[in-house]
Amino acid sequence: MHATKSPHHARLTPRPAAAHAHPPMHAAPVPRAHAAHPARGAKMPRLWHFAVEYLLLLPIGAAIALIWVNTAPESYFRVTGALRFAVNDVAMALFFGLVAKEIVEATIPGGVLHPWRRAALPFAASVGMTMVPLVLFAVLVPMFDEPRVLQGWPAVFASDVAFGYFAARVVFGRQAAVPFVVLLGVCANCLGLLALAVTGAAASLYPAVAVALMALALTLAGMLRQARIRSLWPYLAGSGGLSWCALYFGGLAPAFALLPVLPFVPHGRRDPGFFVDAPSAAPDPLSRFERFSRHPAQIALGLFGLVAAGVPLKALDWGTLSLPLAVLAGKPLGLVAGVGIARAFGLHLPSGIGWRELTVIGLIASVGFTVALFFASESIGPGPALSAIRMGALMSVAGVFAAIGAAALLRTGRFARAV
Amino acid sequence: MRHVLPTVACAVVAGSLLVAREAPPPLPNVTGSLKMVVIGDNGTGSREQSEVAEQMASFRQQFRYDLVLMVGDNFYGAQRPSDLAQKFARPYKPLLDAGVIFQAALGNHDDESSTINYPPLNMHGRRYYTFSRPGIRFLVLDTNVLDEPQLQWADAVLQQATEPWRIAVFHHPLYGNARRHGANVDLRLLLEPLLLKHRVQVVFSGHDHVYERLKPQKGIHYFVTGSGGQLRKGGLEASDTTAAGFDQDQTFLAAEIAADDLHFQVISRTGRTVDGGVIPRVSERIGS
Repeated sequence: MHATKSPHHARLTPRPAAAHAHPPMHAAPVPRAHAAHPARGAKMPRLWHFAVEYLLLLPIGAAIALIWVNTAPESYFRVTGALRFAVNDVAMALFFGLVAKEIVEATIPGGVLHPWRRAALPFAASVGMTMVPLVLFAVLVPMFDEPRVLQGWPAVFASDVAFGYFAARVVFGRQAAVPFVVLLGVCANCLGLLALAVTGAAASLYPAVAVALMALALTLAGMLRQARIRSLWPYLAGSGGLSWCALYFGGLAPAFALLPVLPFVPHGRRDPGFFVDAPSAAPDPLSRFERFSRHPAQIALGLFGLVAAGVPLKALDWGTLSLPLAVLAGKPLGLVAGVGIARAFGLHLPSGIGWRELTVIGLIASVGFTVALFFASESIGPGPALSAIRMGALMSVAGVFAAIGAAALLRTGRFARAV
Repeated sequence: MRHVLPTVACAVVAGSLLVAREAPPPLPNVTGSLKMVVIGDNGTGSREQSEVAEQMASFRQQFRYDLVLMVGDNFYGAQRPSDLAQKFARPYKPLLDAGVIFQAALGNHDDESSTINYPPLNMHGRRYYTFSRPGIRFLVLDTNVLDEPQLQWADAVLQQATEPWRIAVFHHPLYGNARRHGANVDLRLLLEPLLLKHRVQVVFSGHDHVYERLKPQKGIHYFVTGSGGQLRKGGLEASDTTAAGFDQDQTFLAAEIAADDLHFQVISRTGRTVDGGVIPRVSERIGS
């Protein structure tokens, strides 16, 4: 884990046109300066540009959903019911494609996951950070006497890296903790994907068809790569389409269709940085994919907020609290424990991160929001149990405030300098 | 209210309480009819649950029902074998001893594994299932998680059903006016088309700890019978969709299906009849 790369990667202030901020892992593009794309910015309505650049479409979609469902539930469920497949299973593929793109770039020279040893500590820590809240969740659900909520357990793994990134910047400024937060989130979400695969595999209706289609998708991607095909579309439409069908028939989330395909797409020699765009003229297909999907992915996120966050408040019971309590208490504890074990095996923390910082990072990582909503939707069928988990996912946003409060209390991050 | 004959001659709204002014006539209690009782949200293990169970046993002296439908929340809190005995086997022992069959649906407080595998509830390890009596098809659903396979299964079952009466039993009400939860609109949009398509006439639900009978919604008669052990006193906020309701004491619902009529009578923990009436079976739904 090399945390020293972080500072210049993630600036929120305007920058020269040549340097663009990158999307955070898994999430929509990180805020980038209006000036970064002067031509596009001039054409684009100012409000739209602001909403896109500052990741506002998702919370706006979620807020509309909450208001709508609690005032006119029938029309809300009718409209979102018609949109659900297109948003959750098709449009969100672009969003998770950006996740895959960031992970692929992070593993090439210059990337924060290159070489693989750098990822060892955050990965080990993320195991602790997910297992402890999972145990807590399993304890809390029966305590709240809502046993069916337990079926949404993969949501416990989720960590919204976009939210985490913002919170980490607020608390830690440009310290090494910022990329550490993002890496932890990515690792936790990878574990969550595995959890979803486990639950989805059990429900698979056509496993043989799924395996065959996925093998075909990967073979085609490999052949395209071997043939040095530089066009993006054969990868997306050909391999991506086959992968989508494989996941669909396999009972897994088709939105993850691009995850296995994008590693085959030709990319630049070096990662420009965790949060740094490649030059706007970068010709490699992976960079073109990012430029192509930046705005559609934002729209997909906004629609996803609209479709997934509509929870009728009157329908909720105490079981709703299981998820936010489990992650708020369990993630800091689990992170400290996971790091302790990892250090016992000889792995090292980035400099400047101690138990106080880990506690705050754990609270930041407890925000599941987008990813938790998605994991919940994929792990549990429609009904009140899903509503409870979804509301829990929304409530986990409290982790941001808890992190800021904890940082002030523990006098760490920005608050350390103020003392 | 075209289908509920006005045996409840006049209903009055008194705060959240809507009860019959006149006592409804007793159930016809004819030979060869299906006689049953419906309870919900009963598994508390409390004194109140036992008193309702005693009232049910006492009522059986005159009305020999052999079926009890449970609309969910069969067990609250811990669900170890000793808890199941305390919250089910003990209070309903006289009925179990008399050979009464219980058929349960899953509620949000039921632990899936222990409930569906508890032999006296006759779920045989299934979250959702169907069973029949002569001329009557019962569909028991798990509305906690109303997934696509369950909906497809329900569609297929009702498609093949030949019985003239179709009755659905599940925990979360599609319509309701209780203050705490009320109607589950998301479930309604998934389930109602199915119920209408296959001409289900009556739906029994619980979840809200009151008794409420809704005016027929698109021709279907909905009952909320969630006060078989739990009670949310004053928890009913009657609206123009409420036909009758009772939120002052625990209740159970007795029903008798004789030929083309379903007679029902709702009895409180103290033995008072709080609602009653007749639902005639209609072969074609009005408006359909």
